[in-house]
Amino acid sequence: MVDAPITRPRTRRDGQFDRLRDRETSMQGKAKRGGRFLGKFLSNRLALVGFVIFAIICLMSLFAPLLAQHDPMSPNLRAIAQPPSVEHWFGTDKTGRDIFARVLYGGRVSILVGLGSALLSALIGVIIGVYSGYVGGWLDWIAMRVSEIFMSFPQIILVLLLVAILGQSLLNLIVIFTLTGWGGIYRMARARMLSIREEEYVQALRSFGLGPARIAYKHMLPNALGPIMVNITLSTAAFILQEAGLSFLGLGVPLSIPTWGNILNAAQDLRVLEQNWWIWLPVGATISLFVLSVNFIGDGLRDATDPSQQG
Amino acid sequence: MLTYIAHRLLTLIPMVIVISFLIYLGLELTPGDAVSHMIPPDAYGSMDPDRLQELRESLGLGQPFFVRYWIWISGVVQGDFGYSLAGGVPIADIFLDRLPATLELSFAALLISTILGSILGTISALTRGSATDQGLTVVGMLGVSIPEFFFGLVAILVFAINLDWLPVGGRTLPGYDSFWDRLPNLVMPALVLSIMMTAGVMRYARSSMLDALSRDFIRTARSKGMPEWRVNILHGFRVALTPVIVLIGFRLPVLIGGSVIIEQVFQWPGIGKEFVSAVRSQDYPLVMMVALFSVLAVLIASLIVDLLTAIIDPRVRLGE
Amino acid sequence: MNKLLTTSIMALVSAQVAGGATAQAINDSELSDPRVRQAIAYAIDMETIAETLFEGAAIPAVGLTSDPANYPDGMNTYSYDPERARELLAEAGWDGSRTLDMVYYYPDELTANFMAVVQAQLADVGIDMNYRLLEGDVGAQIGGVPDDPVNGPAVVEWDILYGARAAIANQEYFNRFAPGQMPTVPTIDAMVPLVESVNATTDPEVQRAGYQEMEGIINEGAYILPLYYQQLYIFESDRINRNGAPYGNEQYNYNSAIETWTVEPNEDGEAVAYTNGAPMQFFEVPWQNLGIWVHSKYVFDTILEADGALTPIGGELAETYEVSEDGLVFTFTLQDGLTWHDGSPITAEDVQWSIEAAAQFPLTHPVLASTLSSIEGADALLAGDADNMSGISIDGNTVTITFEVLDPNVFLSFTQFAPLPSSYFEGADPLQLQQHEFWQMPIGSGPFMIEEARMNEFTTLVPFPDYHRGEALIEQIIALPSADGDANLIRNAAAFRADFGYSKNATDVPSLEEMEHMTVIPANIPYTRMFWINQFPRN
Repeated sequence: MVDAPITRPRTRRDGQFDRLRDRETSMQGKAKRGGRFLGKFLSNRLALVGFVIFAIICLMSLFAPLLAQHDPMSPNLRAIAQPPSVEHWFGTDKTGRDIFARVLYGGRVSILVGLGSALLSALIGVIIGVYSGYVGGWLDWIAMRVSEIFMSFPQIILVLLLVAILGQSLLNLIVIFTLTGWGGIYRMARARMLSIREEEYVQALRSFGLGPARIAYKHMLPNALGPIMVNITLSTAAFILQEAGLSFLGLGVPLSIPTWGNILNAAQDLRVLEQNWWIWLPVGATISLFVLSVNFIGDGLRDATDPSQQG
Repeated sequence: MLTYIAHRLLTLIPMVIVISFLIYLGLELTPGDAVSHMIPPDAYGSMDPDRLQELRESLGLGQPFFVRYWIWISGVVQGDFGYSLAGGVPIADIFLDRLPATLELSFAALLISTILGSILGTISALTRGSATDQGLTVVGMLGVSIPEFFFGLVAILVFAINLDWLPVGGRTLPGYDSFWDRLPNLVMPALVLSIMMTAGVMRYARSSMLDALSRDFIRTARSKGMPEWRVNILHGFRVALTPVIVLIGFRLPVLIGGSVIIEQVFQWPGIGKEFVSAVRSQDYPLVMMVALFSVLAVLIASLIVDLLTAIIDPRVRLGE
Repeated sequence: MNKLLTTSIMALVSAQVAGGATAQAINDSELSDPRVRQAIAYAIDMETIAETLFEGAAIPAVGLTSDPANYPDGMNTYSYDPERARELLAEAGWDGSRTLDMVYYYPDELTANFMAVVQAQLADVGIDMNYRLLEGDVGAQIGGVPDDPVNGPAVVEWDILYGARAAIANQEYFNRFAPGQMPTVPTIDAMVPLVESVNATTDPEVQRAGYQEMEGIINEGAYILPLYYQQLYIFESDRINRNGAPYGNEQYNYNSAIETWTVEPNEDGEAVAYTNGAPMQFFEVPWQNLGIWVHSKYVFDTILEADGALTPIGGELAETYEVSEDGLVFTFTLQDGLTWHDGSPITAEDVQWSIEAAAQFPLTHPVLASTLSSIEGADALLAGDADNMSGISIDGNTVTITFEVLDPNVFLSFTQFAPLPSSYFEGADPLQLQQHEFWQMPIGSGPFMIEEARMNEFTTLVPFPDYHRGEALIEQIIALPSADGDANLIRNAAAFRADFGYSKNATDVPSLEEMEHMTVIPANIPYTRMFWINQFPRN
């Protein structure tokens, strides 16, 4: 079940035919699929709200240098633990650093970790999954075994193990999340490929003599994009929560880098929790809102792409 | 069926061996060992490194990697789980001690989330499209969006310290003889741990309920004039629950792992808390056993789920 | 109390010393230039940091030891002076091209905050610094000594280490200035004989003279930058009454006389007191951290007794004790009729076994280990050439210990040394003493004995009825497994689950002080946080 045998030499006409057909099927499919998808997504109010919140938080973090009037790293011992004021919108922390600036800059790192790891694991999972799902063979066997190994751990146990092995750093955390996250997307992409491998249009493409890579990535992959997108959003949400959880355990990103998790970690101190609500509430709310918005988007995407999930 | 189970169990063995080797290798590559964590850092400067080296040798840490792995794995195969390096406690004893705490917490959370999730999911499905339905969806989403340790910390502040309704943490105290004595200690961690799962169960229950309600036999029941609530509860709920049970099977190992943070927040003396401290103090024999145990839990749970699905749904065939 | 100590230190310290001996770099590293190190000292505003970040729970340091009597006249306090720092840097030709690599090993948030503040203050005078938390084998990363202790290169891979010295004997602060001991400072010739002299005498006057000279040398050359003295904070709920028993250095064994304390009975009429520090997995051998845990100091009695400042004041298990004039022979006699918690007698054989085992146990506290290894025949025992130490002889209840070399801290060590019941350790390997099953439920000799130990959950202690100073009045102590610096301690205290205990953690102090039912009593302890500046060239 690798490739259809080519029984006659290809001619120029075959190539033209291919291109024509490609264009037609892909254009048609895209227009129809895209339109329905966008329409459904937009008609989902929660997804829309989620997207707006997501965009706002991302943009604010991205433009942190323009929005924050203070340096997130520079302490001021004469103004420690100040409540919110005109000068410091979210107040200051225990070293007098501006919390608004820290939440914005922390967002950059946390979103990078969350979204970055999700995209990286999707990239790896999709590249391997699509190809091995369509082609099969030894690559598929190896990838499947490796993903089984990664997926037979409870996620947090695996993450803690890897943190112990690789050590704590921002880059390592992204690597760790990617390692723990690619398996799910790989399996989904692979399963999707297996199910559409026998569909008529794939067989048709094969009989036209297209290479397996081309069929897999160019023609089959678009049909699996929906669930992949859903998976990316859900992973992003999970990774951001995990980053915060690791900070709580003292095994996250080094404390010298502001991240949402590191800022929120101050809430461990009962006195801060009781008396300095501005140290933990804004950042706690930001994490929750961001994750919520990502979940709304994921939900919207799921409804829009999966006809079996009718709400 | 039996051959299938035997086959699945047999394939577990090489898997587990490969995994154990990989973890062992990974831990081998990390700098430091258990001895380096036995001394408080402030005292490093004054300790005699030669004596520490002697301790290393004596604990068998000086042997070559493969020798140590071989000793370890052949011990495990014979049922000897080894000893924790720091205190020399048999790891089997640590498991016997901590596992009940973790299981207690996990099952309580499982129970709460299953009951709460199915009820809320059913309500949501029956009132589909209404404000209640949408409200529940949003609340469910919110539940999975708040970092659980943060939720736990705030719960401690409110319910344990400000209102003084529940204890701040821990599982038992002297004189707590029965389960009922320590029930108050269980309430907060179990509730916080169940939040994430409740949202999942709710979503699942909702969609399978919707699915069930649209099936033929429900329509028949309705057309025979059965009261609406009886239709919903007797038929719909029962059908909808099956996939929920499968979901729970999948969640079980996740719960064991998921309680790591909650155990830390509430000083709950379970496996998760033990794992974190073992990882911190590089107590590898203990790290290995907890990791392997959780891997086994995942693999066996997935086997059980497969079997359950096959029993529930005759269309699924085993052994493919 | 803090203020008092601070001002007394300030009063003793007069004007700055003018001009260094050799104010220039001695090797390729800019940090070998004393002016650069002094600039770092001037750049850090420790006064303000102590007052704000540490909320008063730190005393800015002048010397390595906190006792002003150990300082010579004219110690430089290096009070915050960024202008002076910039001048010194300019003189030293600091061009700002080097980013200093600062490391630390305390994982708490307060330390990270302190690092952030220091980073900002150094940046202010033109020194770039990045900080990182050490992971893995911290000892190997901070302890490597160069093969060539004069020219280096450095073995350790950092520029500055934020660490501490917790010393019960003052010598511990200076001993690493002995040749070939110091990871960060090229051998200072003037220090070598001084280190020897303070270790070769028990005469406090001679020792003091040595400390003064050494403090002066370190202060002038800024070889190590002492930052602040940490205090220990004893907390107590209003249910506890110490009945006049003294307060002291809670991390060690002192005459806290817990058997005389009382606690207000709870609603069931039971005199139960809560504390922290219950074991997670096993009870720690009391030779390692001496009195740090409740189960070390209240379950085990020591040979001699110390006061709150750890000055030896008398016998505890020992009825009488004496040391020969040359300081080489130490004799003590155990009280008659002492028993372990299991009822069996405490014998001189137990003591002998314990001394020999503690000398071989790899984790024994350095001061204790150094005393025990000075005993005649210790080397032979450690090398495996003998089964016993030839320097120990017993006669009835009397133990006579002969030292090969003079140890300055014999009395101090024996105030912290708790013998163990040897009958439980037949055939045990002293190397793996901690791994022995005895430490799941130890049998001791102190005022309290362990009743129930649920690892990671709680430990309960009850009075030992046959205690030689009378049965304790508190009926039960319940220890929970939280420690200082652990957020759970504060939560337990807020929930009335901590009646007595102590914390060194500056974050805990204000929280405890704010609780109406809690009293916090600061105690001076020898604990100095400092910067170790790597003055060897680095590869």
